[in-house]
Amino acid sequence: MNIIEITDLSFSYREDVDALHNVNLTIKKGEWISVLGHNGSGKSTLAKLIIGLLKADSGDIFVDGILLTEETVHEIRRKIGIVFQNPDNQFVGVTVEDDIAFGMENLNFDRLDMIKKIDEFSKKVNMNEYLKKEPHELSGGQKQRVAIAGILAMDTDIIIFDEATAMLDPKGRESIMEYIRELNKEGKTIITITHDMKEAVNSDRIIILKDGEVLAIGETNTILNDKETLNASNLELLLPLKLLYKLDEANIKNEKVKDILWQLSLNK
Amino acid sequence: MAIKFEQVSFQYPSFDGKNFSALENINLEISDKGEFITLIGETGSGKSTLVQHMNALLRPNTGSVTIYGIKIEKNTNKNKKIKLNPLRQKVGLVFQFPEYQLFEETVLKDIIFGPKNFGVKEDEAIKRAKEVIKHVGLTEDYLGRSPFNLSGGEQKRVSIAGILAMEPDILVLDEPTSGLDPKGRDALLELFTNIHKKLNKTIIIITHDMNTVYKYASRVVVMHDAKLVYDGLPNMLFMDENIEKWNLDLPDIIGITKQLEAKLDITFTKKPHNVNELFELMKGVL
Repeated sequence: MNIIEITDLSFSYREDVDALHNVNLTIKKGEWISVLGHNGSGKSTLAKLIIGLLKADSGDIFVDGILLTEETVHEIRRKIGIVFQNPDNQFVGVTVEDDIAFGMENLNFDRLDMIKKIDEFSKKVNMNEYLKKEPHELSGGQKQRVAIAGILAMDTDIIIFDEATAMLDPKGRESIMEYIRELNKEGKTIITITHDMKEAVNSDRIIILKDGEVLAIGETNTILNDKETLNASNLELLLPLKLLYKLDEANIKNEKVKDILWQLSLNK
Repeated sequence: MAIKFEQVSFQYPSFDGKNFSALENINLEISDKGEFITLIGETGSGKSTLVQHMNALLRPNTGSVTIYGIKIEKNTNKNKKIKLNPLRQKVGLVFQFPEYQLFEETVLKDIIFGPKNFGVKEDEAIKRAKEVIKHVGLTEDYLGRSPFNLSGGEQKRVSIAGILAMEPDILVLDEPTSGLDPKGRDALLELFTNIHKKLNKTIIIITHDMNTVYKYASRVVVMHDAKLVYDGLPNMLFMDENIEKWNLDLPDIIGITKQLEAKLDITFTKKPHNVNELFELMKGVL
């Protein structure tokens, strides 16, 4: 079942140039898809359109079968949570528990239910010992985990991570990726937006955006094998992938080495 | 030495009385004769606190920081007798997301704001603006534009130009490439390399990206749990057995080389510095 269907979507911030041009995309329920592209490729614009923060110039977005319009935007936002890049810009509460509660308060959750959920989801992201802490006492990775807890508490089917690990140190990045993997296993539909191929290879499928257009879309393995497209994408290729391509160019056929490089490309 | 830390410790006060120790017994010397230093370590290890001591934005609780001959200690300048402005002109600090601090109507006004505050006359400041805008890879016609109509990358460059216009000898940048894609990151690092080489300034960059450390730095300083645990050459650092304990990644080229050696059960004859060198080594054993 398709949880998101996007047809012929276009959007421009300025009249002369489209930030997104004619994007078509379907996402299946429970799938993990990466939107991969360089700065200015339109990937964050796509996320903002999906959650209705921006209004498309043309094209349709269906979420769970509902067409996104001004009338349905609130209904649709209950289905999608989003974690942004800068942990400081999205921490709105005075304390951790306050911040986790923020989304639920907006959705008029019952108070006792809220307390239960704060307990449950702060444990889930391993932040239950920090409930009374203020944002300045937390690392970037911890703040992102609080943001995830807030979204889990709202129980959305879809979670978008918009470069959510870009500002974290390696340890913080790895911990967030772990939670993403787990949430996807539990059935959440995940959209990760990134310029980092290392991160994108974790997902089932990849869509590559370049200058507002869909350059390629496919299974992660297929995309990684598509040398021409990747070279055209302006993205930085993974080092083992570069070696793999070089072996091919030099016509060196060593299946064992190729297999090792392939596994390394997939972070395995 | 332009900057000398001697047994510097610093604690952030806390309301519950348990002070948070951010720096413990730091000894460090920095020259202003063209060093390219990267400062690394996990979040909360004390990197930002350390650089804020480099131009007296923070004063040590114990020990001293001597900046261009002026010794800064716990009680230095409680009565404001020492002028700290000249230090801040010599050591320019660029915070994370400097583009958020742009505020003037035009790029020119933003760039000359700093120098004018330090007493530089308007026409001299304008002359400098025309010079520094080129050093950050933009053209003079940017000077008349509004900073708010520029892309994020251009705004970053304008804010760095504003610091350069103060003509510091040492330029300290707190995670300048955070949030940029690889192309944007490399463009900015090339720019710092140019400033470093052409203007012979010392560059200090805080980063989490080990590829940056390996490719650009001549010296690397590692912070871990408020302590300075390494100060030396980048390629020696990545052979240090403590690297895991300090929560540092390896640069891609070193990491992949090691994994290849382990999986193929071989040892390459030398250590490759880039993908082409690694490929040549692989061809040799295949």
